Amino acid sequence: MSAAIGTSVARARDPLLLTGRGRYVADLDLPGQAWARVVRSPVAHATLRGVATEAALAIPGVLAVLTAADVPDVRIPIRLPFATTPEGLSVLQPVLARDVVRYVGEPAALVLAEDPWTAEDAAELVELDLDVLETAGDPVEAASSSTLVHERLGSNVVNTIPVRFGDVEAAFAAADVVVARRLELPRQTGAPLETRGLVAEPTDGGVTIHGAAKVKHFNRGVLAELLDLPPERVRLVEVDVGGGFGVRGELYPEDVLVPFAALRLGRPVKWVEDRAEHLVATNHARGQVHELEVAATADGRLLGLRGTAWVDQGAYIRTQGILPAILPGHHLPGPYVWEAFDLTAHAVLTHRTPVGTYRGPGMTEASFVRERLLDVLAAELDLDPVELRRRNLIPAERMPFVYDLGSESPPIAYESGDFAGGFEVLLESVGYDSARGEQARRRAAGEHVGLGLAATVEMGAIGPFEDAAVTMSDAGRAVVRVGVASLGQGVETVLAQIAADELGIEPDAVEVRHHDTDDVASGFGSFASRTTVVAGNAVALACRALVKRAREQGVVLAEVGEVTARFEKPHPSFSFGATFSLVSLDPETGRVVPERHVVLHDIGRAINPALVEGQLAGGAVQGVAGALLEELPYDETGQPLAVSLADYRLPTVLDAPPVEVVLVEHPVPGNPLGIKGAGEAGIVGAPAAVANAVADALPPGAEEPLALPLTPQRVHALARPAR
Amino acid sequence: MKAPPFAYARAESLDDALALLAEAGDEAKLLAGGQSLVPLLAYRVLRPTHLVDIDALTSLETHERTPEGLRLGALVRHEQLATMSVKGAERVLAEAAGHVGHLPIRTRGTIGGSLAHADPAAELPVALLALGATLHVRSTAATRDLGVEELLLGPYTTSLAADEAIVGVTVPEAACERRGAFAEFAVRSGDFALAAVAVVATVDGNEKRDVRIALGGVDATAIRASSAEALLERAELTDDAIAEASTAAATDCDPASDAGTSAPYRRALVARLVRDALTRIREEWA
Repeated sequence: MSAAIGTSVARARDPLLLTGRGRYVADLDLPGQAWARVVRSPVAHATLRGVATEAALAIPGVLAVLTAADVPDVRIPIRLPFATTPEGLSVLQPVLARDVVRYVGEPAALVLAEDPWTAEDAAELVELDLDVLETAGDPVEAASSSTLVHERLGSNVVNTIPVRFGDVEAAFAAADVVVARRLELPRQTGAPLETRGLVAEPTDGGVTIHGAAKVKHFNRGVLAELLDLPPERVRLVEVDVGGGFGVRGELYPEDVLVPFAALRLGRPVKWVEDRAEHLVATNHARGQVHELEVAATADGRLLGLRGTAWVDQGAYIRTQGILPAILPGHHLPGPYVWEAFDLTAHAVLTHRTPVGTYRGPGMTEASFVRERLLDVLAAELDLDPVELRRRNLIPAERMPFVYDLGSESPPIAYESGDFAGGFEVLLESVGYDSARGEQARRRAAGEHVGLGLAATVEMGAIGPFEDAAVTMSDAGRAVVRVGVASLGQGVETVLAQIAADELGIEPDAVEVRHHDTDDVASGFGSFASRTTVVAGNAVALACRALVKRAREQGVVLAEVGEVTARFEKPHPSFSFGATFSLVSLDPETGRVVPERHVVLHDIGRAINPALVEGQLAGGAVQGVAGALLEELPYDETGQPLAVSLADYRLPTVLDAPPVEVVLVEHPVPGNPLGIKGAGEAGIVGAPAAVANAVADALPPGAEEPLALPLTPQRVHALARPAR
Repeated sequence: MKAPPFAYARAESLDDALALLAEAGDEAKLLAGGQSLVPLLAYRVLRPTHLVDIDALTSLETHERTPEGLRLGALVRHEQLATMSVKGAERVLAEAAGHVGHLPIRTRGTIGGSLAHADPAAELPVALLALGATLHVRSTAATRDLGVEELLLGPYTTSLAADEAIVGVTVPEAACERRGAFAEFAVRSGDFALAAVAVVATVDGNEKRDVRIALGGVDATAIRASSAEALLERAELTDDAIAEASTAAATDCDPASDAGTSAPYRRALVARLVRDALTRIREEWA
């Protein structure tokens, strides 16, 4: 049998995408299409007394202006049952604002016109009669504020989520040392280079929607319900997708408005989000404040970790429910042995863009606060940060390792891996001791150089299951159907490699079909580093079933017909990861230069090493930018201050450090291919490691970096006491 | 992010452009490289009634040495400036141009456009101010020359009349030896400068005559750091003199505080950049 698995097969579409011949939703035009433009709230909180549409309708080429009165009085539902609460369900977002607007950018009307220019001209003339109200901004203040985002809830705290393990009081009582800090993560977002977009086309008794991503089967079901259509009449189609990062492909108000408008007009409707809209309309993420304390013995054994987190959920609970507030607690213990931990997380509503998940949700935030606190503790104990981690990482012999969180919550169950061993592999790859020596030399020469580490756990490979169908043709070509999504990560290539090895053919003889809900029966989609693990194993099982059936029947593969298989994944997988960062900084300007970045990840088994490295390097660059550059700030009235890519500082290649990737392939039980996810591993430890490196680089007497991003001005301010 | 409606005319010649501009009235704009104007149109921050496109007027894209100095057409692109052969202190202009945005922006953006746009953080006005450049302005009715200080009135505000166009810039020939250095601080490569500094120093034999220090991004327009310049008049560039002038330069400007960038931080950057630029000039003269 050939061995496609383990080789860096090139992605088939790369030449097209790299030479500008990709076909993104903005490239798709249908005959007779109209264009939609969303009229958005210019203020963060106001009573919406009315919407005047006459002036807009008077412009030639304007077809209609829809307001809340014209569209179904429905709410965008929560996709995740475990992140659904009655309180959350009471603050879901309407597709157009009704009576109240609650954040800058909230859709309040939809203009439909013959072309996008006319639509935008007309949108300016739609008058929102607004009675401006007080706002709640900072999540900590909002939690106790009498300025409510939703009156009916009676509080801005949607839910308070405790995550508890062990006897935390006893752990702190037994401590020799306790350190406490307040740590902050700014609002950030995935900011894919392609913004969202949709082309909806009325069909015989239904609608076809181009521009789907991530979770198209789920969204089909929701849209059928919201648009009052039979599910089989709603068809979602993916075209090329320029990045997802968790934010693209969730169901947003526009996902309902655009097909609704197409059905209403009886002609195709196209909408392409512009970048200014994207920065206020597409999910934000992070935006957390943690007050934490860590307890340890004098010789550096970790005992307990406890505290409170305020998680900014924005103005409405969206499709991911209160997941942003649930996740940090589950990722708080990380790869370490703790006697006890206890995090109380408040999911807080604010008059800001709603919040969802962004690559590495919860784990990136938890890793930042925990790893930063560990370095503070190491300094307090006068212990090398490496040594503190060594003494507390879960040893391989204790695998599988379980933190039982009681009856309220599923356990944190690490199925496999060698966390302590993996950490040593990172140190060896880095050449940690010589890096410390080099640091000492450069410091002696007057430079400010720091090393930072983070040890992390990536949760991925989330179920519940995925189905795959495979058929073989006479020509020796296979067709695989599976309901996942391509976000640019190379899913078609990886799944083709898996099928190729199972069927004994070449990867380019495998066509992976996932684009169209009419073509693929079901699927959970692509998120949470799940696609290769869950869909890949389903593909492997389907191929094996096909081969088995052919053998049993004594026929060639092509004569078997379509064979389907399901791979169930009741529990997520956890991968160990570790990150090293080397930075230099200039205390006079505050400039931090990330000089070197090394990320280690336990992948189980790399199907396509080049794509795994690409995922890790891309995630690492996003994480470094999250540590140093990216922030979505608001002023005191709730106006967003980052409204273009001049203000929301995505890194360019000139700002990114070289990223070295170290893969560990530790056998994984529980799935036939023995693999783990990779999509989020690069980002998880990056902000923590970079912040720890900055802390290490700052001159003696400087303040500790406890809030991101570490912009030049912030680093300059931290360094000031030392000057 | 679609521009509001406007009338568009493509000029065939400079005279044609000036005539079109005069006809179009008070709310017309010249379109050259479009690197500032087009984003402002897309964000609907500007709503000109007319755009007069001069981008194809190649006669304005040339540069030449004249007895008066280095004469640059208004459409000289930043990338041309960044890569052209310059002498002495003119290099502050080349260095400044190299800091403008990214390569695609530099290949389109023009020197005239940068001046007329009058962004307080723009690099080229800072360099031209330090070099004492003369700007050549025309309308259908008249021609006049003015200095950078006379052009820049405030943020995005110039003394140009609605029918006037910048047609060229002359960097004067120095009577004696000049050295220059440009330095700026931006968060990302290609970002607008939080602070920018151009220094031009003149010597006559062994005697240093004067130092011109221009600052950008830290006041309503590009400005001269006058008290810092006064401190350096006929002074040796010792460590102490440089330190004193750098500190003074930080007080010569009046930076605004905005989200994430406080005035004291910008002043601190000015002090550092002036020190770096002066130190570089001294080292290269040694």
